[in-house]
Amino acid sequence: MWLWFSKLGSPKWFYELSGKWLPWLAAGMSLLLIVGIIWALLFVPPDYQQGDTIRIMYVHVPFASISLAFFPLMAVAGTITLVWRMKLADMVAKTAAPLGAWFTALALASGSIWGSDIWGTWWIWDGRLTSMLLQFFLLVGVISLRSAIEDADAAAKACALLAIVGCINVFVIKYSVDWWNTLHQPSGSFSLSDEAPNPPEVWVPLVIMIVAVYLFFVVSLILSTRNEILERERRSQWVQELIEAN
Amino acid sequence: MTAQTVTTFEAFKATLKRDLLIAYKRKNDMVNPFMFFLIVASLFPIGISPDPDRLAEIASGVLWISALLASLLAMDNLFRSDYEDGSLEQLLLSPHPLYFLVLAKNISHWLVSGLPVALVSPLVAYMLNLPSESYFTLFITLLIGTPVLSLLGSIGVALTVGLGSRGLILAVITLPMSVPVLIAGTLTVQQTLNGASLAGYLAILAAMLFAAVSFAPLASAAALRISVN
Repeated sequence: MWLWFSKLGSPKWFYELSGKWLPWLAAGMSLLLIVGIIWALLFVPPDYQQGDTIRIMYVHVPFASISLAFFPLMAVAGTITLVWRMKLADMVAKTAAPLGAWFTALALASGSIWGSDIWGTWWIWDGRLTSMLLQFFLLVGVISLRSAIEDADAAAKACALLAIVGCINVFVIKYSVDWWNTLHQPSGSFSLSDEAPNPPEVWVPLVIMIVAVYLFFVVSLILSTRNEILERERRSQWVQELIEAN
Repeated sequence: MTAQTVTTFEAFKATLKRDLLIAYKRKNDMVNPFMFFLIVASLFPIGISPDPDRLAEIASGVLWISALLASLLAMDNLFRSDYEDGSLEQLLLSPHPLYFLVLAKNISHWLVSGLPVALVSPLVAYMLNLPSESYFTLFITLLIGTPVLSLLGSIGVALTVGLGSRGLILAVITLPMSVPVLIAGTLTVQQTLNGASLAGYLAILAAMLFAAVSFAPLASAAALRISVN
C-alpha cells in the first residue's frame, strides 16, 4: 500500500498513467454528455409545473453537486501536502481551485437562469445561493493567495492550510446561511432515494448527466494537472525527452 | 541554559503584557479602529436614508458590518510590526507552545480593537435609532462576536504577513469566513426585537467563540510557521 502511495506521489508516474486513462475517460465523457443532453433536451417529458424549463435541471444539478466537492478535495490534497510533502497533491490542489471557481460560477449562472423563470428573479438571497456565492469568494481567496506568494513551496503550504480552514468554514457557512434564510427547494426532491414523485424517464437522464459532468471534472482536472506537471518538471530529464520525442 | 526556566503561563502573560504595552505606547493603533467604526457606521445614514424608521431596520446590520470592517482594518497590526522587527521569529523559536503565544497576541489585540467597539456600540445604536430594548443584546453579541472575528482574521494575517501587498488579499480571505458570525450576531439582535428567547442564539455565538479559541490559534500558529522562514 505504501509503495502504491509513494508511486502516486511521483509526477512522472501520474503523467504516464493518466495519459493511458485519458482517452477512455474522454470517450466515456463525450458519449454520456451527448446521450444525456439529447435525452434531456428532446425526450424528457415537460414538467407538469415548470414546463420545458425543467430541462435546465439537467445542467444545474450536476454542476451544483460537483461544486460541493472542491473544498473537501482541496482540503484532502492540502493535508497530504502538509503531512507527506507530496508534490502531486499540491499540483492537484493548485489546479482544483480555478476549476472549482468555474464550476461554482456555472452552477450559480445556470441556477440563476432557472430561477429567472421559476422564481421570477435572477437572484434572491436564499440560503443555498448565498452559500454557493460565499464558496466562490473563498475559492477566489485561495487563488489570489496562491498567486500572491512567490515562493512555490510556501505558497503550497499556505494554500493547503487555507483550504483546510476553508473546508471547515464552508460547512459552517452552509449551516448558518440555511438557518438565516431558506427558500431553495430541498435537494431531496431530486435524490435517488426519493423516487416516488419522479418517474425513471426524469431521473435516468439526470444520473447520466451527473456522471458525465463528474467525468468532465475528472478529465479537466487531469488535463490541467498534466500541464502543471510539465511546467514544474520542465527541467527534469523525462520531460526533456518527452519534448524531444514530439 | 535551561529552556524551561519560564513556564508557559508566564510566557503567555509576558506576551500579553508586552503587546498591551506596545499598543498603549502607540495610541494611534488603538484609536484608529475605533474611529473607523464610528465613521463607517455614520456613513450608512448619509448613504441610505436619515429616516429614523428605515435606520432602525438596518441598524443591527450596520453596526455588525462596521465592527467587522473595523476588526479587519485593525488586523494588519497583529503580526506585522513583529514580523518587520524580527520579534516574530523569536516567538516562533520559543520553546513554549505557539498556540498560547498566538492566543495571547489575539487577546491583547482584541482588548485594544474589539472591546472598545463593543463598548461604544450602544451609543452608535442610539444614533442609528435601534430600538432601545436591543442595546444590551447588541453589546453582548459584539462582546462575544468580535473576539471570533479577531481569531479568524488572525489566520488570514498569519498567512499573508510576509507579503508586500496583503491588504486586499486579507479582506478576500477573511470576510467570507466571517459570515457565520455576522449572521449569528445580527439574527440575535433582531430576535430581541421579536421578543423571542435569546438563549439558543447566544449559545450558538458562544459555541463559535469556543470553537474559534480552541482551533483558530492552532491554524494561525501553523500559518506563521509557513510564512516566516
